[in-house]
Amino acid sequence: MKNKNPNILTMKRKETFAGYFFISPALLFYSIFFIFPVTFSFLISFKRWNMLRPLSSSPWIGFRNYIYLFTRDDLFKASLINSVIYAFVTVFLTLSIALLIAVVLLNIKYAVVWRFIFFAPIVTPQVALGIVWGYLYDPNRGLLNSILSFFGIPTHHWLTDPSLALFSVMITAVWAGIGGPLLIFTASLKGIPDLYYDAAKIDGANAIKRFWYITLPLLRPTLLFTIITGLLGAWQVFDLIYIMTRNAPAESVWVVSLYMYQIAFQSLRMGRASAAAFILFLIVLVITLIVLRIFKKGGIEGYE
Amino acid sequence: MNRKRKRLISRIIIYIILAIIGISMILPFVWLVSSSLKTRAEFVAKPPVWIPEKAQWNNYPKVIKKVPFLKYYSNSLIVSLSVTLCVTITSAFAGFAFAKYNFKFKQFLFSFFLSTIMLPAFLFVVPEYFMFSKIPLIGGNSIWGTGGYGLLHSRLVLILPFIVNSWGIFLARQFYIISIPDELLQAARIDGASEFKIFIKLIIPISKPVLATIAIITFITQWNYLFWPLVISSSAPELSTLPVGMKMLAMAFDPARNQQLILAGLTIGIIPPSLIFILFQKYYVSGIGMTGLKE
Repeated sequence: MKNKNPNILTMKRKETFAGYFFISPALLFYSIFFIFPVTFSFLISFKRWNMLRPLSSSPWIGFRNYIYLFTRDDLFKASLINSVIYAFVTVFLTLSIALLIAVVLLNIKYAVVWRFIFFAPIVTPQVALGIVWGYLYDPNRGLLNSILSFFGIPTHHWLTDPSLALFSVMITAVWAGIGGPLLIFTASLKGIPDLYYDAAKIDGANAIKRFWYITLPLLRPTLLFTIITGLLGAWQVFDLIYIMTRNAPAESVWVVSLYMYQIAFQSLRMGRASAAAFILFLIVLVITLIVLRIFKKGGIEGYE
Repeated sequence: MNRKRKRLISRIIIYIILAIIGISMILPFVWLVSSSLKTRAEFVAKPPVWIPEKAQWNNYPKVIKKVPFLKYYSNSLIVSLSVTLCVTITSAFAGFAFAKYNFKFKQFLFSFFLSTIMLPAFLFVVPEYFMFSKIPLIGGNSIWGTGGYGLLHSRLVLILPFIVNSWGIFLARQFYIISIPDELLQAARIDGASEFKIFIKLIIPISKPVLATIAIITFITQWNYLFWPLVISSSAPELSTLPVGMKMLAMAFDPARNQQLILAGLTIGIIPPSLIFILFQKYYVSGIGMTGLKE
């Protein structure tokens, strides 16, 4: 039956219909490529399964995958610790450097050129960056050691020395990751009215004080955003470590994504690999919530 | 006077630091391109040679002959373009719905979509690999999805898991909230246009900038993506994309003898994303800036 005078009810119904129509592709996608995989991973994390056998005939082993990872699997524990170190150190360094550069570059000419320079690594495949930096780090002919020895600084086996390898990858990651946050910081710095700084100058605040008491507090929402997205990206690091560290001892450089890749697709232990992925997910979730909490306490309106 | 001098000195120091940072940013790229044109002897020379005496352009055809680069290229192009097209459309759709309609569970669904970025990508790898291998009646599979390899040898495997993207939806929604007034939609409705027609005829043309941003970011990200293609290509080498090819290239050659060729290969591989960035950097940059802005 057609209603020629649309009343509120049909309007509402029409909106619901239109809304669901427009999100239906996304909804369908997330059901297939999100709800199913997460449920499936969760279930097989309680199984012993190698993908070659049918799933139905693989045994349920309860929490044994999880218990094994935490009690007997030193490589997993090392990978987990490396992931945490990697994520926090890279995000901290990347954001600090990006913020400093953003402040310095704020009133400088040729911003486009600078933007370009810092963006080059972001649009380049990390595989290529990893290979190139692998050569730069080469202990015998690498550019880095050549430069260091030119200045009389002792050279190192950057990617094979267990105490250095992860750190070397982090340098590359920081180098490659500055561009994005730099741009976001620049956008928000431009939003701070000059008035605040002028007032502070009259009160006699020096540049460092102005940065600490005006810039940083006003950047809180941006910092929250960059910290959370930065950490979410860093937990998942794979390419650089996979490419750069194949000659370093596994326990010194592996992160959870590499562990998961090797255990799932080289050792075919799907259950254990899924359990590892879930443990990392829980840690990511908790840390994300803690970061949100810390920032909320400081009193900013939340992001969705 | 003294103060002015102090200022000048601090200025100079800042510029020196900036110069050092700037040089260290581009040095690896300069080294990459210049080394790809070197001879073997120049590559291993100590101290390093910066500009090869005679550019060895034939390093490029040599590496293309040795490795199926054209195959990698076409795989990467087809996959990245298909993903880009799908992501742009689905983001515009969902972003518009979340911005301009009220429906049940809207807030919940939006938060749910966004929360997916919290899950590590490798959580999805095992189930999706399994799922694609079990699709019934395809790739030699029975109606129960057993016996064959399913979709694992089709490019669809590399495309389907990426055709919707939470960031894209988020960006499109931001854009529609900010730049499309409700009155505009009301006016079109009074004129009797259907919702779908409004979207196609009115909204899409206005949203070209944000769609360009989404398309460019998606293309570059997809082109550079390694993890899933790496997993897939281990059983279906014909599906290798360029990042997988670069990784194989770096490992296939005797590492002590052919680095110049490897670097020539890398240079070929980074041209498309760099070119797209150079041509459309305005859109790329505005997108990154937009993600950081509050509603």
